[in-house]
Amino acid sequence: MLAMRLLVLAGAFSLVVNVSSAEDAVIGYVKTVDGDAVVLVAGKATQAEPGTPLQRGNVLKTGKPGSMGVTLKDNTVMSLGPDTELVVDEYLYSPSDGDLKLGASMRRGSLNYISGVIAKLKPEGVSLKTPAGNIGIRGTHFLVTVEAKD
Amino acid sequence: MFLSFCDGNGSALGWAVLITVVLGVAGCAKNYVVLLPNDDGTTGKVAVAGREGVTLLEKGREGAAIGGPAGKTFMVSDEQIAEDFGAALAASPQKPVSYLLYFKAGTDVLTPESQADLPEILAEIQRRPAPDISVIGHTDTMGDAAENARLGLVRARSTAETISQLGGSIISPDRISIESHGEKNLRVSTPDNTDEPRNRRVEVTVR
Repeated sequence: MLAMRLLVLAGAFSLVVNVSSAEDAVIGYVKTVDGDAVVLVAGKATQAEPGTPLQRGNVLKTGKPGSMGVTLKDNTVMSLGPDTELVVDEYLYSPSDGDLKLGASMRRGSLNYISGVIAKLKPEGVSLKTPAGNIGIRGTHFLVTVEAKD
Repeated sequence: MFLSFCDGNGSALGWAVLITVVLGVAGCAKNYVVLLPNDDGTTGKVAVAGREGVTLLEKGREGAAIGGPAGKTFMVSDEQIAEDFGAALAASPQKPVSYLLYFKAGTDVLTPESQADLPEILAEIQRRPAPDISVIGHTDTMGDAAENARLGLVRARSTAETISQLGGSIISPDRISIESHGEKNLRVSTPDNTDEPRNRRVEVTVR
């Protein structure tokens, strides 16, 4: 019984470890910054700079005036205009294992998006959510603008 | 009413001007997507969720309202793109560039031609602000898969080391990611145990 409890505990612990390592993985870097631009990690804002690493779940936020460009590991390029908020909620990039997924949410603002390897290999694995509706990406370059809902 | 302004449809144009004047800039609902041509001249596709279905964009500068009527698209002028997306476009990072370097059979020794390509890669790294690179090693199908996974890694590591040594401080080691696809990702597809120089390579991507 005790052994079983220990096993369960060990299982839960290893699960926690796995999850945190996936969250810690760097998925890309900030490359350009102009004006007011921050990266929020667990709600805490740090000024974005070229070279700031990005992890899944980080919030990219620009002020007015402000803009920021990022490049992800699969060569996805995204740049945010002023007063924009974007999160990469899901990111899996392991082409040799076939694990490919990119899910981002844009709350408001303007975005320039050039898709990368994930969209090329698995277009159905890429989506951009906005408050007004979702956008599916089939390997391409496009722009999105979203009005603030407040 | 706002949507018909966004449609940019000829008959609504007169009204559009009026609506813009009356409602000001906020008159046009700014929830839309515009497709742009790719650098290579091709154009991809974007599916935009509409009210009763999906709107597919397939042409350059073709736009659709997010959550608008399904299937309804409009053309967006360069002026409108500059107004709504000028700052976002100006902030765009340079697109990543990839290079292939080739190796002598069974080794991590670069061919003389690929050795000669190294300065160009270093120059590209130097041109970029806050560069990061990935180095992916590949092999041909000679020998067994496990051994080739190892050889791919040896090739990727030695290439990364060479770039670090030649590049000095232009790229920090923590900005270099290294992996191996072994014989799983052939550039030229061959049967097993085939000597194929074009498969003995690393792919270096500069971001």
